[in-house]
Amino acid sequence: MKEYDGRVRLIFKDFPLPSHDLARPAHEAARCAGAFGRYWPYHDLLFANQPKFERADLVRYALEVGVPRDGFVKCLDEHRFATAVADDVSQARALGVSSTPTFLINNRPLVGAHPVENFRTAIDEALRDKN
Amino acid sequence: MNRVRSTLARPPRVYTILAALLLAALALTAGRGMAQAPVVDLSIEPSMVKGARTAPVTIVEFSDYQ
Repeated sequence: MKEYDGRVRLIFKDFPLPSHDLARPAHEAARCAGAFGRYWPYHDLLFANQPKFERADLVRYALEVGVPRDGFVKCLDEHRFATAVADDVSQARALGVSSTPTFLINNRPLVGAHPVENFRTAIDEALRDKN
Repeated sequence: MNRVRSTLARPPRVYTILAALLLAALALTAGRGMAQAPVVDLSIEPSMVKGARTAPVTIVEFSDYQ
């Protein structure tokens, strides 16, 4: 992202797979952290601590990134973002996304975990197409 | 030409992009026929976005934390 500063925007969409039962709460938790302005630090912690996503873990990560416990727990327990996560999943399915991670680079799909070089190539192509 | 349009939508913190999947549709829905590329409204949570809105390239990442 840094090397493409100003030229690339990244939009994260939740796509918890049904077979991953701890994923959905983690996605909701990240959005709760986002409500306190800490989405990306929380996101990074989740990936770093995969797959330790029990409720106590989720709360601990929130504290680590400076989200107040009470507000976070309330958000998590009332499933404030369950609908938002479900909406992301429906949108992914409507697009035909069936595995993670799936990237759309100016609508062009890149499916699976790829070496960074493949992203550079895809981004450079997209930038060229714009010119 | 960009196939993603950004517009401000009603819930004020959520705006919408229209993802008209032309090439994407071909690759992702192979087998479903390629007559019409699906156009899907994507809701965007601003806190889940990095980078400038004016950036010429938009990457949408669908990921699973687990």
